[in-house]
Amino acid sequence: MTIIQDRPGPQPGAPHGTLVEEPLTEFVPGPRPRGWVKFITSTDHKQIGLNYMVTAFIGFLTAGLMAEGMRTQLIAPNNHFVTPDIYDQLLTMHGTIMLFVFLGPFAFGLANYIVPLQIGAPDMAFPRFNNLSYWLYLGGFIVMTGGFLTNNGAANFGWFGYAPLTNAIHAPGPGADMWLIGIALTGFSGIFTAVNTITTVFCLRAPGMVMFRMPIFVWNQLVTMFLVLLAFPVLTSALGLLWADRHLNTHFYEPGGGGQPILWQHLFWFFGHPEVYILALPYFGVVTEVIATMSKKPVFGYKGMIGATLSIGGLSMGVWAHHMYTTGAVLLPFFAALSLLIAVPTGIKFFNWIGTMWRGTITLNTAMLFTVGFLAMFLFGGITGVVLAQPPLDFQLHNTYFVVAHFHYVMFGGSVFAVFASIYYWFPKYTGRMLDERLGKLSFALLFIGFNLTFFPQHDLGLRGMSRRIAVYDSNLGYNFLNALSTTGAYITGIGVIPTLINIFKSMRTGAIAGDNPWDGQTLEWATSSPPPDHNFESLPPIRSERPLWDANHPDELTRVGH
Amino acid sequence: MKIEWRTILGASLFLGIICAIYWFWSTEDTGTALLLFGFAAYLMLGGYLLLQWKRRHGIPRSEDKEDATYAETAGEHLGFFPAASIWPAGMGLGGIFVGVAMIFGNWYWVIALPLILGSVIGWSVESEAPEDVPDEVEAARRQDTNIDPADIADTDAPAHP
Ligand code: HEM
Ligand SMILES: [Cu+2]
Repeated sequence: MTIIQDRPGPQPGAPHGTLVEEPLTEFVPGPRPRGWVKFITSTDHKQIGLNYMVTAFIGFLTAGLMAEGMRTQLIAPNNHFVTPDIYDQLLTMHGTIMLFVFLGPFAFGLANYIVPLQIGAPDMAFPRFNNLSYWLYLGGFIVMTGGFLTNNGAANFGWFGYAPLTNAIHAPGPGADMWLIGIALTGFSGIFTAVNTITTVFCLRAPGMVMFRMPIFVWNQLVTMFLVLLAFPVLTSALGLLWADRHLNTHFYEPGGGGQPILWQHLFWFFGHPEVYILALPYFGVVTEVIATMSKKPVFGYKGMIGATLSIGGLSMGVWAHHMYTTGAVLLPFFAALSLLIAVPTGIKFFNWIGTMWRGTITLNTAMLFTVGFLAMFLFGGITGVVLAQPPLDFQLHNTYFVVAHFHYVMFGGSVFAVFASIYYWFPKYTGRMLDERLGKLSFALLFIGFNLTFFPQHDLGLRGMSRRIAVYDSNLGYNFLNALSTTGAYITGIGVIPTLINIFKSMRTGAIAGDNPWDGQTLEWATSSPPPDHNFESLPPIRSERPLWDANHPDELTRVGH
Repeated sequence: MKIEWRTILGASLFLGIICAIYWFWSTEDTGTALLLFGFAAYLMLGGYLLLQWKRRHGIPRSEDKEDATYAETAGEHLGFFPAASIWPAGMGLGGIFVGVAMIFGNWYWVIALPLILGSVIGWSVESEAPEDVPDEVEAARRQDTNIDPADIADTDAPAHP
C-alpha cells in the first residue's frame, strides 16, 4: 500500500535534472511484485498502459491477418480462397477488432502511460479501477474473437451490425452474442478509463499546471474521454436492447412486433460518429507533441488548437445521421451542414501544425516521418469525407469501395501512422532504449507505399460502382486490375509492419541507451528517468508555461506566456 | 476549477441548443432523446464541478494558480495509491463471466457471482485497512470537504482568462 503525502518538487538547491538524494515523495513502501504477478496485480499506470498498448498491437496484427485473407480472396475475379460466409466473418471481425480492440484501446494505453506523466501526477486517480478496465478489455477481445471457434462461426453482419441481420433468425448461434458481449465489455472498460482520465486531469495536476498549460496531447485525451462518456453508454444500451431482442423475445428492432430497425441505426451512429473522433483526437494529440518536439518550437496557436479540439468534439455529437442519408428518413440539410462545419476546426489544426513546423529546426527522424505521413494521409481522408458529407454525392457513393478507401485513409493513413509515430517517439521513455532509425525508416517507406497502393485504387473502384462487403466479383466489370493492385499493396503493407516488430524486440535489449530526455523534449514526461520510477517523479521543474521542461533546460529561450 | 466547469457546462449548453434546433426542425424522436441525454449528462457533471467550486468560494487550488509553488502544497493529501491488488483482476474475471452467462446460459452465474462478491469484499476491506492510513492523513481527509477560506486567505492569484 502506498500513500502519497507530498507532491514531488525541486529540492531547494538541487538543480533540476539531478536526482535529489531523498525522494520527496513519502510513501509507505508496499510489496513490488514482478513477472506474471506484476502483470496481473499491478496498479501502476505505466504497467497498465503498456498492457493496453501491447494487447492492442496484438489486436492490430490479428485483424491485419484477416485483412490479408480478404484481400487474397479479392485478388482476382471469381476467386475461391474463402467462402462468402467466411469472408463476411473476416470482414466483421476485422472491422470490429481494428476499432474496438486496437485503435481505441491503444489510445487508452497512451492516456494511461503519458497523461499522468505530462501533468506531473504520481498515478491515475483510481489505480485499481484502472486495472479492472484492462481485464474487461482483454476479456472483450477474447470473447469476441472466440466466435470463430463456434459451430456457426463469428459474427458476419459487418461492424455496425444493422438490424435485422443481427436477429436470432439471420444470425443464429453464439457468434453474434459473443460479438455483442465482447463489444459491451470493451465499452465498460472504455467508460472506466474515461472516468479515470478525466478525474486525473481535473484533480491530480502538479501545482502551476493550470488547464491552459497542459500539453495538447492531454487536452485531446480529455476531450476524447468526454466523448467516450457520452458515446459508449448509448452503444451499451443499444447492445442491451439487441440482446433482449435475441434472448427475451422483445421487439425493439423487429418491425413484426412494433419495433423499428432504424432505431438501431440511430443509436449505433450516435455512438459511431463520436467513436471515429475517439479514434482520431488522441492521435491528433500525438502528432502535435511530435511536431513541437521535433521542430524545437512551442505549439503554434496553442489556445486555437484547444478551441479546435473542443469544437470538433462538440460538432461530432450532432452529425451521426450522415451515415444514414440513404435511408431517406433523416433530415439531410441539418446533418450535411454540421458535417461540413467540422472541416473548419480540422483545417485550423492543419494550419497550426504547419505553423509549428514553420521556421523550426526540424529533425526528420522516424517519429517525424510517420507524423508527416499522417498529415498527408489524414488530409486526403478528410477531403473524401467532405465529399461523402454531401447528400447528392453520398447517394452515389454510399456502400461502395469509395467509402472503404475514405475510412482507411482516415484510420490507417491517419491514426495508425500516428500509432507508429507514438511508438518511435515514446519507446525510449517506456524502455530506456532507442529504437533503430534505419529499421524504422524502412518500415515507414514500406507502409507508406503499401498503404497508398492498397487504398488509392479503391477510390476508383468505388466510382466504378464496386460495392463493399462482397466476396466475389465478375471479370467483365472493369474491377480486375485495380483489385490486383490493391491486394499487392496489402501484402507490401503487411511486410512493412515486420521491421517495426523486429525493431521493438531487438531494441528492447540492445538499443542505444536513451537517457531521460533523448529528444530535448518540452513536456514533463521527459523530466523523469526512462522508464520512470514508481510514482513517477523524483523532482519536477517549476511550471510556468506549457513547456516547463524546455524552460528549465533553455533559460535563454523561455516560452513566451500569454500568446 | 473554473475552466473545468465552464468547459463542461459549455458543452452541455451546446448540446441543448442543437437538441432544440433538431427537435423543431426534424421532429424525430430518437435523435432528440439522445441529444437531450447528452445535454443532461454534461449538465450534471458540470453542475457538480460548479458546486465544488462554489464550496471553495472560488479559491483556486494549487493546480489552478499560475504562480503556485511546490512548497505551498507540502503535506497535502493526494490520494490513496495501492501498489498492487488482486481484487480488480478477480472482479474483471467475474465481469467476463457475467458476459459468458449472457451468451451461454445462466449456469455461469455460479462462477460469476462469487468472484464479483468476493472481490467487492476484498477490495473494500483493502481500502479500509487502518494501519495503512496515518492519522494526519485521515484527519486531513475529514477536513477536506469544507475548507475555511481564512486558511488560504493569502492567495491573490490572477483571475483566469
Ligand atoms: C493492411 C491493412 C488493411 C487492409 C489490407 C484492410 C482491408 C480491408 C478490407 C478488404 C475490408 C473489407 C472491405 C469490404 O469488403 O467491404 C476492410 C474493412 C474494414 N476495415 Fe480494413 N484493412 C486494413 C487496415 C485497417 C485498419 C488499420 C482499420 C482501422 C483501424 C481498418 C478498419 C476497417 C473497417 C472498420 C472496415 C469495415 C468493416 C465492415 O464493413 O464492417 N482496416 N478492410
Ligand atoms: Cu460519421
